[in-house]
This record gives sequence, structure tokens and C-alpha cells, in this order.
Amino acid sequence: MAHELKGSLISLAALLGSEVKDSDGRSVGRLSDVVVHWTTREAYPTVKAIVVKAGKLEVVIGARWLEVVSPSAVRLRSSRAYASAIDRHPGDVALAHDVLDRQVVDADGVQVLRPSDIYLAAVGDRIELVGIEVGVGALVRRLGPRRLRSHVRLGRAIDWGSISGFVPRTPGDMRHGRRSQIAGEAGTGLELDREAAEVKRLRPSEVQAALEDARAKRTGELA
Amino acid sequence: MAILGFLAILGPGLISANAGNDAGGIITYASAGSQFGYRMLFLMILITVALVVVQEMCARLGAYTGEGLGALIREQFPLPSGAAAMLLLFIANAGLTVSEFAGIGASMEIFGVSRYIAVPLALAGIWTVTVLGNYSLAERVFVVMGLVFLTYPIAAFLGHPDPGAVASNLLWPHFLHSKAFLLLAVALIGTTITPYMQFYLTSAVVDKGVTPETYRGERIDTINGAILSDVVSIFIIIATAAAIGGTGPLSNIGQAAAALRPVAGEAASQLFAIGLLGAALLAATVVPLSTAYAIAETAGVERSLSRKLREAPVFYGIYTVQLVVGAAIALLPGNAVSLVINAQVLNGFITPVLLTYILILANRRSVLGDAANGPIFRTVATICVTVVGLLSAVVLVQTVIGWL
Repeated sequence: MAHELKGSLISLAALLGSEVKDSDGRSVGRLSDVVVHWTTREAYPTVKAIVVKAGKLEVVIGARWLEVVSPSAVRLRSSRAYASAIDRHPGDVALAHDVLDRQVVDADGVQVLRPSDIYLAAVGDRIELVGIEVGVGALVRRLGPRRLRSHVRLGRAIDWGSISGFVPRTPGDMRHGRRSQIAGEAGTGLELDREAAEVKRLRPSEVQAALEDARAKRTGELA
Repeated sequence: MAILGFLAILGPGLISANAGNDAGGIITYASAGSQFGYRMLFLMILITVALVVVQEMCARLGAYTGEGLGALIREQFPLPSGAAAMLLLFIANAGLTVSEFAGIGASMEIFGVSRYIAVPLALAGIWTVTVLGNYSLAERVFVVMGLVFLTYPIAAFLGHPDPGAVASNLLWPHFLHSKAFLLLAVALIGTTITPYMQFYLTSAVVDKGVTPETYRGERIDTINGAILSDVVSIFIIIATAAAIGGTGPLSNIGQAAAALRPVAGEAASQLFAIGLLGAALLAATVVPLSTAYAIAETAGVERSLSRKLREAPVFYGIYTVQLVVGAAIALLPGNAVSLVINAQVLNGFITPVLLTYILILANRRSVLGDAANGPIFRTVATICVTVVGLLSAVVLVQTVIGWL
């Protein structure tokens, strides 16, 4: 179970800039972002689409066209995937733009950390956002050559389920209900649903175990 | 105590700008007066304009985003260029720390204490007080000592400078086409628009809780702070020029004390030494700490003096390395004045690079919205950064050619 799980854990940092090919092996472009749809109903949002940059053009390709090839690569299931122009809908969160490197504050508004990587996991035929890495190791990996980024090594992670929403930079204007509408604005960040002292930063082995539990539960729900 | 109370209500703009009058600043301004008389005064007017423009952008960024420069750089630029910016900040501030320890050594030698005793003691004392003790109390003591340099305006008048020469050099450029002049010009830029101040100011504005609604008052404080600080710097140049202008570069740091003779007579050296020691100790305490905070914030790691050493290794590591390397280089044999000037020149090379990041951030509507630079401000700011960059590039090329 742990071996299967490890194989299906995906690092956003490793994905970013990777070449996306279709089922015929033709390059479509480079992956520049991953979009999830995050509503109050679900703790672990599902990947909705990827953003691919082809030359100067950026297009969106829906998740139904994607399959996970490795922890650092995705591929299109078909050579006839439908690409559309970028259009942000309520609830859409672009992970590289809105989450990666943004501040995360605790329930008291104290800045606690910055995600240096984001973890996705394949659950059934969906890809879900499961956690953020807050260790320095991922930062170092991102600064290194591309081939090192595909060696995904879990650092200290925080369960995405403990993120309650985005916070605007003006404390008096809390808009938790509209998670995505302030996402990505300079000075905004994510908020945890508890205080810093209560945040459990999981070690790699604990991440594995937690993901295993979550996956088992959700696979059970899906079945 | 009244002075401390007064300092407590000073805004971040004023404190940040006066951080420029540290040991490196004092020595560089004194060198300008000693070596070139009043010729650098017009340049100081231009530098003041650039400083006001840059400081205002930094304060605006802090007020409108609620984040420090390090955080904004991490969020808005690709990680490699953000890391490069932090590396440059580390190097620039390491150079400043060297200057401060050189200043500590020189000031204690005026009192007859060898720098080989004074500098290590200062290093140990600063580290211990900051990490284990109450550094904010120490900071206040150093601030009071550094206020000695407010005597420079008095010294400038009592020194009877030639008013015609002063006015003429303030209002019209009298630049020299010499390598030495250009080098010192870059040193003046590096010590007046030092990157440390921009990072400190933005964080201080955020800590003070300035918002877009309350920004107007903060802008006034920022502009006033920049102007007032440079007024003091200009008086340092005038006072030194009136005392020893045209005698060439300072042969040792103590020579700069001559400018205070109109104020303190035979005690000028001791007065100067007290002021220099206070300014140097303050900066040697604050600059490495500020660097550690900025880099740790950008990296997203633990950063607090209330954490134990093993809980915040990156934060304490950066702080300690800066102090140790700064003190070690300051103890190397050689001319202390040259060492300090070269450290400011290094800052002068790095300044335009970091100013470019600040300019890009302040231009982006995605960062500042309607408060982003308008077309006129953007033009003025771009000219300032470009001129600073060109000057630094010329001197850098000259320096490299000189080595070859």
C-alpha cells in the first residue's frame, strides 16, 4: 500500500516546467500551473485543469485529459485533448500562482511558514491536492537542475485539510466564503484553521501514513 | 529618557534613513570632504532625490501589501532570481558589518585600546547580548551614543566654511573626471541608498501596521527621514571639508575627528570616537540581525530570538556568520579607511540590482493595484535606478580592468 501510494504522490515543483506530451508523444508545451477547484464542501480539492505554456501562448487543458506518468510528469490521454483559453471561475485556485511561495498564517494571523512545494495524489482516477511542504529541502531542490526535481523526497508537510482559506491583506475584510477571489493577490496568503503551536508538521513517514489512511477512506467512499 | 521617548515615536522612515549614518557612512562622508572638499555636495543632492524616490516606493510596498521586501521578492519573482537577490543582500550587508567592526576598532584605538582586543570583545558582546540578553536595551544605548553626530551641523557652522564655495557646489556640479572621484561617488551611493535600509523600512512599515488608509502620514515621515538624514550627511562633508578639505584621502579614521574641533576643541577625537563607537555598535547589532530576519522570512523558516539555537538554525546561522566574517575581515592588516570605502563601493555595485527588483514590484498593478507607480513617477524612478546602475557599472568595469 505504501509503495503504491508513494508512486502516486506528485510534486508540483517537479511538474512545473515539465514537458507535456500527448498520447502520440508529441510535445504540447510546458506545464506552468495546476488549477484545482476548491469549495467549502471538500477538504481536498480535485485538480480541474493544467495550464500549459506553448511559446507565448498559455492554454488550459482539463483534468479529464490527464494521466499521471510519474511523480514529476503528466501526459495527455489523447492526441485530441481540448485546450481552452484561460478563464478564472469562482473556486478556481492556480497552485503555482496562488499557493506556492505564499505566506501561510495561523488562526491568530501570525505568519508561520511558506509552502516550498505542493503535494498532489492520485486517488482513483482523480488527482487531489493533499498537502504543502514547508521544509527547506524543497527550496534547495527547486534551485537545482531539473533532473534533481524529479527525485521527489518528502520533507515536512502540512495536511491541506488544515488550511481554512485565503486571507486578504486587510485584516478587517475576511472573505473566507470567497476562497478564490482574493487568491494570488500580493500580500494575501493562506490561513490555517488553528494556532501555530497546534500545527502538526508531519515528517515524511507520517505523511505517508496519513495519505494512506486518507486514500483508503476515500477509495472506500468512491467504491 | 526624554531622548528615548522621542526616539520611540520616530517613524520607520526616519530611523531607517538615519541607519545610513553608521560607521561606514560617517567615514565615507568624511573621506569625501577630506579628499574632494565640497565637490561631492551636488552629487549628494542627486542622491537625496534618488533616496526619497526609493524609500517612498519601499514604504508604499509595505503599507499596501502588508509584506516585507523579502516576502514580496519570493512571491513575485521566480525562485532562482529571488535567491540571487537574497544572496546579494547577504553580501552587501556582510560588507556593512565589516565596516562597523572596522569603526569599532578604530574608535577604541583612539582611546588606546588595540583593535585586536576591541573587535573580538565587541563580537562576543554583541552576539551574547542579542542572542541571550536584552538587545533592545543595548540598541537604545547605542542610539544615544550615536546622537553625537548631530554635532556635525554645529561643527559645520563653527568651522567657517566658505559660504560661496558651499552654495556653488550644492547648486552646480563640480565633478572631477578621475577614477578616485567616481569610486567615491559609488561609495556615497552605496552608503546612502544601502539595500539594508530598504528591507528594514518595508518591514518596519508592516510591523507598525501602516495601511493604505494611513499611508499618507507614513509617506511624509519617509520623505522627511530621507531628507533629514542626507542633510546630516551633507553637514558631515562640509564640516570635514572646512577642517581638512583638500588634504587627500583620510590616512586613518581618527583623522576625521578634526572636523569636530570647532565644537569640542582638544576633545574632538574623544567626542568623535564615542559617536563612531555608538553608531558602529548599533549597526553591527542591527544589520546582521535584519539580514537574518529577511533571509529567513524569504525562505519561510523559523526566525525569532525567542527560539532556541537548534529550533532556528538558518536564522541563527546567518546572523552568526555575518558577525564572525565581518569581525575577521575587519582585523586583517591594511588600511581601515580603504576597507570601509571598498565595503561601501561593494554596496554601491549591489544597490542598483536590488533597486531594480523594488522598481519592478512598485510598477506592478498586480502588487499595488491603483497605488502602483504612475507614468511620471515610473519615469523618474527608472531614471534614478538607471543612472545609479550606469555609474556603478562604469566603476565596476574600471576596477576589473585595473586588476587585469
